[in-house]
Amino acid sequence: MSQYLFQQLINGLALGSLYALVAIGFSMIYGIVRLINFAHGDLVMIGAFSTLALVSAGVPWPVILIFVLAIGALAGMAIETIIFRPMRGASPVTGFIATLAVSIAIQNSALMILSGQPRNFLFPAFMRQRIEVSGVNASLTDLVIIVLTLLLIGGLFLVVYRTKLGTAMRATAENLMAARLMGVAVNRTILAAFAIGSALAAVSGLFWGGKFGQIDPLLGFVPGLKAFVACVIGGVGSIGGAMLGGYILGLAEVLFVGLLPQEFSGYRDTFVFLLLIVILLVKPSGLFARNTEERA
Amino acid sequence: MLEIRDLNVFRGATHVLKDVAFAVDEGSLVALIGANGAGKSTTLLTLSGLLPARSGSILFTAGGTTIDLVQSSSEKIVRAGLVQCPEGRQVFQSLSVAENLAMGAYTQSDKAAIKQTTEHVYELFPILSERAHIAAGSLSGGEQMMLAIGRALLAKPKMLLLDEPSLGLAPQIVEKIFDIIEQLKATGVTILLIEQNAAMALDIADRAHVMENGRIVLSGTGAELAQNDRVRQSYLGVAA
Repeated sequence: MSQYLFQQLINGLALGSLYALVAIGFSMIYGIVRLINFAHGDLVMIGAFSTLALVSAGVPWPVILIFVLAIGALAGMAIETIIFRPMRGASPVTGFIATLAVSIAIQNSALMILSGQPRNFLFPAFMRQRIEVSGVNASLTDLVIIVLTLLLIGGLFLVVYRTKLGTAMRATAENLMAARLMGVAVNRTILAAFAIGSALAAVSGLFWGGKFGQIDPLLGFVPGLKAFVACVIGGVGSIGGAMLGGYILGLAEVLFVGLLPQEFSGYRDTFVFLLLIVILLVKPSGLFARNTEERA
Repeated sequence: MLEIRDLNVFRGATHVLKDVAFAVDEGSLVALIGANGAGKSTTLLTLSGLLPARSGSILFTAGGTTIDLVQSSSEKIVRAGLVQCPEGRQVFQSLSVAENLAMGAYTQSDKAAIKQTTEHVYELFPILSERAHIAAGSLSGGEQMMLAIGRALLAKPKMLLLDEPSLGLAPQIVEKIFDIIEQLKATGVTILLIEQNAAMALDIADRAHVMENGRIVLSGTGAELAQNDRVRQSYLGVAA
């Protein structure tokens, strides 16, 4: 494999990791409350700025990672409790509009508090070096993002498939009424899904800042939209599908830019959405959806 | 054990249950029969806290404490010992048989007791034990019914609500399910049974109520109602 292609692959996997982390939460939330949550991307921004604040407070990086997970979880739980829970049972359109409203409120509050000026965001120097692996070199930041994402996703799968809480989440997502008849604490289960999904999105924000070096209060829009696309590619409501959709999307974006002639590189999102359209034409329920139950 | 008083329930603008009142004694098996749309399932969903009541009360007494189900969350109702096995089985299709049973035990915390009940369910329905790690969605209708009953048993019911357990099942399976219902009754579980198969329901019921258009129109012992001309004509398919 040529060095160039290898680097593109690492780059695509790192970008895909960011998308996957956001898409998984997006999918979990849709799966359990059937809400297309457009405020989910703003958790990425919240995670990125929390990181910046913690760095300037002198908190060591491993601790920052834990804090950002916690801040994301708390923010997601607050949004669910204050905004979405009172609206449960409203029509899907009402819920959908509400998520847009939450997103606009978060973005504009952030603009007021933080100003629209982009901030520099730097990982520590050792993270920004490039390392050589058997003749090819790769960015350590990308490698760290890829590995940490895999660990986080592994942890998530353990929770979802090996714990009572995870089983309750899957049961509630599939059949809310039956879950209530079994005495499942449905609100607590939904809250947990918001907490976990939002924590992952916030960590994605930490990685996002590190990878791109700059953050601003509106940065959540693109990952939110891409997470939605990743979910649709993978099959909305399926966690594994969202994860794979995120990786496919990240790799596709980078490879489009890397392999196509220079003059097309400005159109990478065009190719991404073209890919989405093709997938929807061929497999409308998403690549990895298990059944054809109502999807987004 | 259960006392329903002047219960009125609306679904949207429709007045579905009209001044429904009846009681279920501890240890008895009570059948609720009636045509489609009479309000039987609405009654059970209200009992389980899934539909709000406009007025009336439902007093449930178990283990020395009484709660009004109208004021209680579905979680609290299950914890109090009133467990429903819903119409259409409603097993969690994407979860394995074992996971479905584990969800039945959601409100239970005694691990040893859960294990014991799970083994008991596997004894009642050996086929479930063979399929423990298969997704419930790939089971046959009869197996799903067994799973739905097993799942309800894991919640340690003091009273069990059964909504149309025979629906869509082959006659031998129905026999088996009714056998199990009688066995459960023998172990002291109180049962409220909704059934379209009125003959079988009246056969095993201590008491029965006939529901029409959201009202209880007839009550009596199972045997009395089985002899009643109106019941025989409308629900047992016997010409008067």
